[in-house]
Amino acid sequence: MNYDFSERETAFFSQIDELMQSLAEAGDSDRGDTGAVGHRLRHALKRLAETPYLKLGLQAQEGLDGPSLMRAMEIVSSLAPSLFLSVEMSARVFGRILSTWGNAEQKERWLAPLLKGEIVGALALSEDSLNVENEPLKTKAKAEGDAVVINGRKQYVVNGPVADWIAVAGAIEDKNAIFLIEKNAAGLRLGDRIATVGYEGAAICGLSLENCRIRADRVVGRFEPKEGLGKIRLWENQVIVGASLGLMKAAFESAKDYAKSHESGAKPVIAYQEVGFKLAEMLTLLQTSQLLACRAAWTAEHMPEEADSLTLCAKVFCTEASEDVAGKALQILAGAGYVSGNAAERAYRCAKYGQIAGTSTEIARVRIGDCALEKP
Amino acid sequence: MDFAFTKEQLMFKQEVIRFAEKEIVPRVREHDLKEEFDFESFRKLGEFGILGLHFPEDLGGSGADVITTVLASEALGEAGVDGGLTLSLGAHTFLCADTIYRHGTDEQRKKYVPKLASGEWIGCMGLTEPNAGSDVASLKARAEKKGDAYVLNGNKMFITNGPIADVAVVYAKTNPELKHAGISAFIIEKGTPGFSAGPNLIKMGVRTSQTSELIMNDCVIPAQNLLGEEGEGFNMSMQTVEWDRSALLAPFVGAAQYMLKRCATYANEREQFGRPIGKFQAVKHKLANIRIFVEAARTLVYRTAWCKDQGRALNHLEAAVAKLFLGDWSLVPTNDGVVLHGGYGYCHEYDMERIFRDGRLGPIGGGTSDIQKMIISKLM
Repeated sequence: MNYDFSERETAFFSQIDELMQSLAEAGDSDRGDTGAVGHRLRHALKRLAETPYLKLGLQAQEGLDGPSLMRAMEIVSSLAPSLFLSVEMSARVFGRILSTWGNAEQKERWLAPLLKGEIVGALALSEDSLNVENEPLKTKAKAEGDAVVINGRKQYVVNGPVADWIAVAGAIEDKNAIFLIEKNAAGLRLGDRIATVGYEGAAICGLSLENCRIRADRVVGRFEPKEGLGKIRLWENQVIVGASLGLMKAAFESAKDYAKSHESGAKPVIAYQEVGFKLAEMLTLLQTSQLLACRAAWTAEHMPEEADSLTLCAKVFCTEASEDVAGKALQILAGAGYVSGNAAERAYRCAKYGQIAGTSTEIARVRIGDCALEKP
Repeated sequence: MDFAFTKEQLMFKQEVIRFAEKEIVPRVREHDLKEEFDFESFRKLGEFGILGLHFPEDLGGSGADVITTVLASEALGEAGVDGGLTLSLGAHTFLCADTIYRHGTDEQRKKYVPKLASGEWIGCMGLTEPNAGSDVASLKARAEKKGDAYVLNGNKMFITNGPIADVAVVYAKTNPELKHAGISAFIIEKGTPGFSAGPNLIKMGVRTSQTSELIMNDCVIPAQNLLGEEGEGFNMSMQTVEWDRSALLAPFVGAAQYMLKRCATYANEREQFGRPIGKFQAVKHKLANIRIFVEAARTLVYRTAWCKDQGRALNHLEAAVAKLFLGDWSLVPTNDGVVLHGGYGYCHEYDMERIFRDGRLGPIGGGTSDIQKMIISKLM
């Protein structure tokens, strides 16, 4: 047992923090035009590729593991949440699809440049059914000679408007698979970029596929529906847990700094219990979330049979905590928090996403409950 | 980071669960109803070795590390042992015996620790007073040195094991002008003239633990019953916080785990509208709330324990975070456990109402949640 990060990890966190301080200056909350968002993402990926960050979870990195990644994700998310989401959907989720199910040629073709920050990836999973984990995917593919033809519609594709390659989840025969579709492929139509409550610096859209023909060597894996989608959901959920930690951290720090520097009645407002006690509750939620998230990340690597349910526990707890912490931060910051452009306001707007995306909070609780019922 | 337990730690935890389920749990409900201390169970805890796990073998212990000790406390809760008995154990082992072990002379250790580790004697600790709780500096109990004796006067309040203890570690001021630095710790044995306990206080939960006032009225004890040096009492009392935020919190985690298991079993068996109630999402929601609380809480408790195993000084901020979370965030999940059982949850025999009642001590005992918030907001 060890609750400390090593010197190697601490040095890595400092490296990421320093890098992100410079990348975050570009204005993470700016919706900006899609071209600018793409340019900023590519620049960030290039810079992050100079560190081990993009490789974590995809290739073994000496002295760094799941908890290291979780803490590093917290740092990136706290400084630039939109950029974080974009980077993670490309490197971690798109990347893990290739590193887990890709064959040698596919890894060479897509994973290698991805880890160098040379290409941007996206995952198109969500459909308009309530829960893709329980419903068969409506996106269908059919083999035709040495090609595959895909039809379907996807929604909320993070990086959709800026990605070079989109990993589309769909059904083929009685299995599921991932289809790698290039941005200008015939039959792929990207929808307009979606305006969102938070993460407005990320580029998100829906897409449709109409007789989209790809080469058969661009099909990644064929797996049982629950197995494959379950893994993708786990990776997404881990990303969202990391995002929530960062939002919490940013909101808490801004509220704490304000409470220590803003005076009322000739003393800093933190000296008033209504403020100081709120901050205590916020820090309790943050520290508890950090520990639970790291334990879930460690469990995913060392006790995979327990990873799904513990990660869901972490996701529910951390995402709900992030909304709570961000809300309390806004209350402490008062008027200063309600003005757009501060970390607490940004965290408040972004926090809800975590409870909706990946496995929603409702579905997560149902599955945690199922797990308890299976092993009373 | 590494969250793995050793094989030995995990095996020992299972051993404790099996022992407790067989030897202790069958009597829990009866004693809780009668609000009686279970002397027989306490004796068995001593025989099994749980009362002195972390003490060295030559003092009757097993030399266990802190994590193992915490796992044993958690295991008792997980087996279904009531919070009253685990609280008594905590006050006995960690607040009384451990203070003597850490700060006593060799003579004091040899005299008291083996008897406490075996359960032959029961110990308690007297710090809180009727008008001095977390504000320790304001305590009024007085100890005056007269020749080779100390004369103690004052009252202690809410003392776990007070009515049944054979020996007490009591804090009193030897130099009131020095406030914290004027507090000293003393060992007082049952039967000492001028030393008595009030009647057992009727409580909402943890009912099998016996709680009372301790009264010192010209209580004369030998000077060698001073623990450590004069003026060291405050620091000694603060050191017990390390145990308070780990081994004393662990049974609450275990109890929530026990509640989860009972709730899942009930939800699988109980049928309404033609199907087990576990099929309803609202029931799963409650099960999830309990599980999430258990997982979040246990990580905080283990962190405190692990730091203590590393020999680190207590991080008061992290310890307060653990205490605050265990206390305040347990309300919803333990309430969910009661409600999930419907009418049965409100009845004694299903254990849910007892766990809910026992858990209400969490935000109060050992420093209220407000005190934890005060500590956290000052240290951040």
